[in-house]
Amino acid sequence: MEKINKTQLARKSAVQSRWYGNRRRTFFLVFALTLMVVDMYLIFVWAPTESVMGHVQRIFYIHVPMAWTAFLAFFLVFLASILYLPVRKAPAWTRRWRLWERNPIWDIVASSAAEIGLVFTTLVLITGPIWAKPIWGIWWTWDARLTTTLVLWLIYVAYLMLRAYSSNRSQAGVYSAVLGIIGFIDVIIVYRAVDWWETQHQRLVVSFDRFDVASDMRLVLYFSTFTFLVLFGYLMWQLISIKRLEITIRQTKDKLSMAKIRDARR
Amino acid sequence: MFSLLTTPNHNIPYLFAAYTITWVVFFVYLFFSSRRQDELKREITGIREDLDRLDSSGSDEKP
Repeated sequence: MEKINKTQLARKSAVQSRWYGNRRRTFFLVFALTLMVVDMYLIFVWAPTESVMGHVQRIFYIHVPMAWTAFLAFFLVFLASILYLPVRKAPAWTRRWRLWERNPIWDIVASSAAEIGLVFTTLVLITGPIWAKPIWGIWWTWDARLTTTLVLWLIYVAYLMLRAYSSNRSQAGVYSAVLGIIGFIDVIIVYRAVDWWETQHQRLVVSFDRFDVASDMRLVLYFSTFTFLVLFGYLMWQLISIKRLEITIRQTKDKLSMAKIRDARR
Repeated sequence: MFSLLTTPNHNIPYLFAAYTITWVVFFVYLFFSSRRQDELKREITGIREDLDRLDSSGSDEKP
């Protein structure tokens, strides 16, 4: 009987448990949860109450960081998709670093970032209207920022559906990479929408060169952003390890069934 | 110091709803992803048992 690559499976799962091991990940999760607790203290106790909007303004401390984290996630999708797409005639000098070879890890990174980015965007689309109702008097309006954010959400829903329902995995990887690159254009539109059009949505209050919020509020906003980035890092770690395990299992199962068929024929 | 209690409470239900939904979604997502990982671990154990069985049946056939 043909020997199945048992040592390969053992080695792969050992490597994965070493790099994506439970103990390190648990420590990372505890760190993220601790940050969340401190973040809640800063938001509800330390941050001053906004004079016009009152307490409901505190939604801003999760709404904005989640939007920024979603943007980062989609930027990762964009970057990993570019790295995943193969280039047939690569320049000779790049071959040394194997930059142009199609590496499945980029597909895993892109799909993981898309999934988590979608969770964050969903929450942005939920917390936004909850804040809007008492402040604007309406849950939703078809203004540029809101509409482009909804389009962004739909693009990445399509991205994940394309991957889920495609029978050819390799082809799905290439098509979703193309969608991941094109979809990122909408991230730029979402970010700039408040400057390009007259919108109901507030203009940027914090950007690279503009800080239109009080220093206490800004500090809480930055801390909250750091917390969500750590949470994002943990979720990426978790999802990448899950997807790598899925691939290892699928490949081993294929080999196993092939060996069983060969065994039965003898 | 606890500004949430010392200032007038208006729109508190909206604030409560936003934070509750956010953390519930995150914890549900975390729960399902860790459950997915546990299932994969069980699957790996199953595959290993299959491999052991195949190995032992292969070695039995040898003269």
